[in-house]
Amino acid sequence: MKKGLVVLLVVAAVVLGLYSWFKGNYNNMVKMDEGVQAAWSQVENVYQRRADLIPNLVATVKGYASHEQETLEGVISARSKATQITVDPENLTPEELARFQKAQGELGSALGRLLAVTENYPDLKANTNFLELQSQLEGTENRITVERQKFNEAARVYNTTIRQFPKNIVAGMFGFEKKPYFEAQEGAQQAPKVEF
Amino acid sequence: MRFHMANKFRHILLAVLLLVAGIVCAQVPQRPEPPRLVNDLAGIFSDEQAARLEYRTAIFADTTSNQIAIVTVPELYGYDKAQLAYSIGEEWGVGQDKFDNGIVILIKPKTGSSSGEVFIATGYGLEGAVTDAFARRVIERAMIPYFKDNDYYGGVQAALDVMMPVISGEISTDEFSGGEDDGALAAAVFMLFFIGFVVMLILVSGNKNNRNMGGGNHRGGNGFSAADAFILGSILGNATGSRGRSSGSFGGGWSGGGGGFGGFGGGSFGGGGAGGSW
Repeated sequence: MKKGLVVLLVVAAVVLGLYSWFKGNYNNMVKMDEGVQAAWSQVENVYQRRADLIPNLVATVKGYASHEQETLEGVISARSKATQITVDPENLTPEELARFQKAQGELGSALGRLLAVTENYPDLKANTNFLELQSQLEGTENRITVERQKFNEAARVYNTTIRQFPKNIVAGMFGFEKKPYFEAQEGAQQAPKVEF
Repeated sequence: MRFHMANKFRHILLAVLLLVAGIVCAQVPQRPEPPRLVNDLAGIFSDEQAARLEYRTAIFADTTSNQIAIVTVPELYGYDKAQLAYSIGEEWGVGQDKFDNGIVILIKPKTGSSSGEVFIATGYGLEGAVTDAFARRVIERAMIPYFKDNDYYGGVQAALDVMMPVISGEISTDEFSGGEDDGALAAAVFMLFFIGFVVMLILVSGNKNNRNMGGGNHRGGNGFSAADAFILGSILGNATGSRGRSSGSFGGGWSGGGGGFGGFGGGSFGGGGAGGSW
């Protein structure tokens, strides 16, 4: 009778311990997962901010450099492609992220070409509206860099947690998956290529 | 195929490692201990100028809760100036945690061989007040003209003149874009009153000088009684339209003597702001 009670108590203690361990880890992972998703929506926000600046920029440039039709259209079509691609933060797979990054990267290089072209128009470069837009665009690119870094950092912390033993057991049981990273873009720092 | 896969994997791994290494090895200047808003690492201000700037920004931080950190650096430590400014803001936690209302003014003075660089980084919470375009105007119109004459102190004061009222909601950014002189004048007059008032209060209440360093809240200490701080706070708070200061941190940080900033609050930066060079 007494022995049975001891066994019961030990079992209860083990069960309770296991429960609180699982609970702690699970809740922690949920929190980090939410953190990664929040970081992701910030990333999408700043890219959206860039996309929102483009119509105004294109309109301003058009006024001065109307015969740069091709470059302007390049930006517009890259913008519409990029804004079509949104990633559900719940479903953040490497493929989805790569697709998103590729479309945004194309928009980035189209914008780079446009800004390179504007160098040839002194009047445009003196236009206050254009200057404002340019500084907003610069600020947005800075924001993109910052938010991407923050996203990668959040994903790194999350990934480290879910892959470490023994937490990986909890992660595996409840289907916490590894999050992808933004990769440093190949050629992102290079001047836009001139295509013939 | 296998080789290709392995190769690709290696590339990805390398990219991630480099990125992580970049984050880990970031060599931002250390957060000052005791906390200070003016950090003249490049040594371009005289002691008196630094003290004045510290005094002005500390009062501003105490009355409006917005923290403006002024950091001068002898070099950019291999960073882009924008990145260095954000990293400082983020790592030091300039601004309140709840409002992200910090600003970092980063200045690298012009030396014989390198150009001068300046960047104003805005915390998330102030991106609406200090837009990128406004920050650029502040730099181009208020700061760089002084900096070109090697008057760093004058340039920073001029920038504070136009930025502080905007940050505390005194004037809209449009006014500055129209007639900058008006804005600057209004700001100067405002600040004069402001400082005069504060100095008066200090004189009136002035007993022992207790410089409270080391951050944290300082309640019921010497120099300023809680009642003084409350009266000062409520009057100035109303005048500058500040809101939502956490209670209990009044009277924290500074008392008597001038200076003694209470500490950074953990604000966050998202890449707002603008830069310039000369």
